[in-house]
Amino acid sequence: MPYGTVNADLMTTSDGVSSSGLYGFKNRIINGAMVIDQRNAGASVTQVTGNTYTVDRFYIVGSVTSKFTAQQSSTVPSGFVNSLKITSSATTSLASGDYYFLAQLIEGYNIADLNWGSANAKTITLSFQVYSSLTGTFGGALRNSAQDRSYPFTYSIPVANTWTTISITIAGDTSGTWLTTNGTGINVVFALGIGSTYSGTAGAWAGSNLVSATGATSVVGTNGATFFITGVQLEKGSTATSFDYRPYGTELALCQRYYWKIARGTSEPYGITGNTSAGNAIWSQFGLPVTMRATPTVTIYGTWVVVNTGQPTVRGASSTNFLLQIVPTATGIATAYPDSSDDLIDASIEL
Amino acid sequence: MIYKQIFDIVRQQVQQNAILRVTDNAFIPFDPDNTDYQAYLKWVAEGNTPQPADEGTQ
Repeated sequence: MPYGTVNADLMTTSDGVSSSGLYGFKNRIINGAMVIDQRNAGASVTQVTGNTYTVDRFYIVGSVTSKFTAQQSSTVPSGFVNSLKITSSATTSLASGDYYFLAQLIEGYNIADLNWGSANAKTITLSFQVYSSLTGTFGGALRNSAQDRSYPFTYSIPVANTWTTISITIAGDTSGTWLTTNGTGINVVFALGIGSTYSGTAGAWAGSNLVSATGATSVVGTNGATFFITGVQLEKGSTATSFDYRPYGTELALCQRYYWKIARGTSEPYGITGNTSAGNAIWSQFGLPVTMRATPTVTIYGTWVVVNTGQPTVRGASSTNFLLQIVPTATGIATAYPDSSDDLIDASIEL
Repeated sequence: MIYKQIFDIVRQQVQQNAILRVTDNAFIPFDPDNTDYQAYLKWVAEGNTPQPADEGTQ
């Protein structure tokens, strides 16, 4: 009796059950179910010309500011709790160089086994669920870090305001440079309106910077148009398997490799105090919950309550911790602590 | 964007491994993998100069 077959990438039992999708971390997208929203806690974010993060790991950007917003949503397909909602803020005509999109940057370490940029490049499948007030052919693309390799794709939303499951299989790129370090491995782009300069032929690798397919529907072209997305998954292989539901704590920890925020909460869970002579430094070390991708930018927000000192400052940081500092104005006890929900600290090292 | 040097009150000198982004009070470490640091380097390469540190204060 045959028990099944085995090859280098996939085991299949005699009754057809495949190992694809059964191993850990099959989904290279982090927060694909849009459940983690450390920065915004469900609040709407307005698109600007620089990368702006909505739910964790997903950012929005556009060539002209304020053309759409993004917000965590509870409008979902069966099996999900959250989606990400895009709302067009105007009727925007696209010039050739315009671009509006939602995207995620996947760290190189997490796609190293795909062997992209070599003859042994592995096939991947991108799957997700979408719901829009618009119908038609929509676009997106995969790009490398140098933005000199890209693969535009299309997908169809045939019925408005109805969840549609999308699956796109892409043969791995055998050319170009695809980082397998802590830099950007793959940039996954969902286009919301792209001009001709950054649009190209769907279904083929190009040696240029493309973020959508020619002729794709423009969400920003209709004022008030909505576009929801969730269940985003990028996996090795030519079949879209079921969405990889990871434990909430695991997903949060994966997000915290790139962004971490401590809020004051209902009390004072952190602060800094000490007793020394005037002009000497008092330090307080904060450990980060997971090792971050690299040394983060650390920002202190709000106006903290201070006694015998100025506002706290950051003295140093690493991928595992950072150091706050206060300096007593006069010899004696100096203290600084947060006093409102706006008083917080974050550490960011997005790609 | 405006950047400012940070004074190291312990060593009594300007910090050599970080810069302050004045607009949001962000501490930006000189790590080549930090995109904020990359943006700072680009800003300097465009001919800009950070504000000097306030010596004698943190």
